Amino acid sequence: MGKLTIGCFSSLVGSLSLDFSVKLAEAAVKKGHTVDYWMSGNATMMSKKGQRAFKDYSALAKTVQELIATGKFQITACEACAEARGYHKEDTIEGARRFSMDWYLASAFDADRVLHIGGD
Amino acid sequence: MATRKLLFVVRALPYKTEASRLGLTHAISSQSVEIYLKDGDLVEASIAFIGDGVMNCLKNQQAMKHYGLTSIEGHMKNTLLLDMKVMVCKEDLDKFGIKEDALLMDAEDIGGETNTQIVPYSEIQKEMESVDHLLFC
Amino acid sequence: MKLGVIMSDYRTGEDVLKRLSAEKLGIIFVGNGVYHAATKEAGKTSSILEKTGNLYVLTEDLESRGFTSANLDSRVKAVTYSDVVDLIFNDYEKIVWL
Repeated sequence: MGKLTIGCFSSLVGSLSLDFSVKLAEAAVKKGHTVDYWMSGNATMMSKKGQRAFKDYSALAKTVQELIATGKFQITACEACAEARGYHKEDTIEGARRFSMDWYLASAFDADRVLHIGGD
Repeated sequence: MATRKLLFVVRALPYKTEASRLGLTHAISSQSVEIYLKDGDLVEASIAFIGDGVMNCLKNQQAMKHYGLTSIEGHMKNTLLLDMKVMVCKEDLDKFGIKEDALLMDAEDIGGETNTQIVPYSEIQKEMESVDHLLFC
Repeated sequence: MKLGVIMSDYRTGEDVLKRLSAEKLGIIFVGNGVYHAATKEAGKTSSILEKTGNLYVLTEDLESRGFTSANLDSRVKAVTYSDVVDLIFNDYEKIVWL
């Protein structure tokens, strides 16, 4: 089994790229791989508490929390990107973390594969 | 002791999205990654600008003056100050008619000793082959 | 290098993809990238399909956009998320998102 590190800059709402990356992470974990997930830029909002699920907007918090519970999925938000958006430490969903950008590069150090979704 | 090499390939135009800015700031963060790694382990990041991404390398960007934002040029200067390898695709510069004197080529004013390298795409392709992971922005 | 490209867009990225070269190249169409695999413009298929013989499309994204495997170019294989994970780990060493 391998380690996949995913980094994503895309919005929680307004782009399905984040949905793709979470579904990919879910499929990888189901197969027994471990996944490190890094949220930067607009993607940081995925780990913010209090998301309300509507059918017209992407809602990924529940899936993320189920993934965290597997013990094979670590999710970390870029602290500066989050703070810039008014998302503070106490707003973070249980099990998610916030660090500086070097966490992502450290994760890439021992990853077997890195998928960097740097657009949108 | 091991070194992992990452290449950030910037293809996005600056400012409308955060893609190129975040690409550069993530690359710069390779300088402090050791705190998470074992002694002697390293992550080495390099940056290549291709396609529309070469527009990030123009000098005299005045984003601070007009929007109060650090310019992409400023981040690029920091990568040079940190001796990171910065490549810009020559064919793409030629396509846009951009000459070397329009680009940020060094960070001498802040003490940098490394220069931007204008290289043919084939050199960037070689870099892509030599690194461990590719991060397109 | 064995390079897997995840192509997520229809109108951008083609310029970058066309220049990429690899000993083994695979293209996985996801998101709006699926239009490369399932549509024609002025009767012509996407030129990206000429780039390699290793072409895949994510079924979920194809179906989300109103297509079925019957709309696919015959060179493209429909895959699931689980298959994409296997392609990433087993077939390609480096992965690029466009």
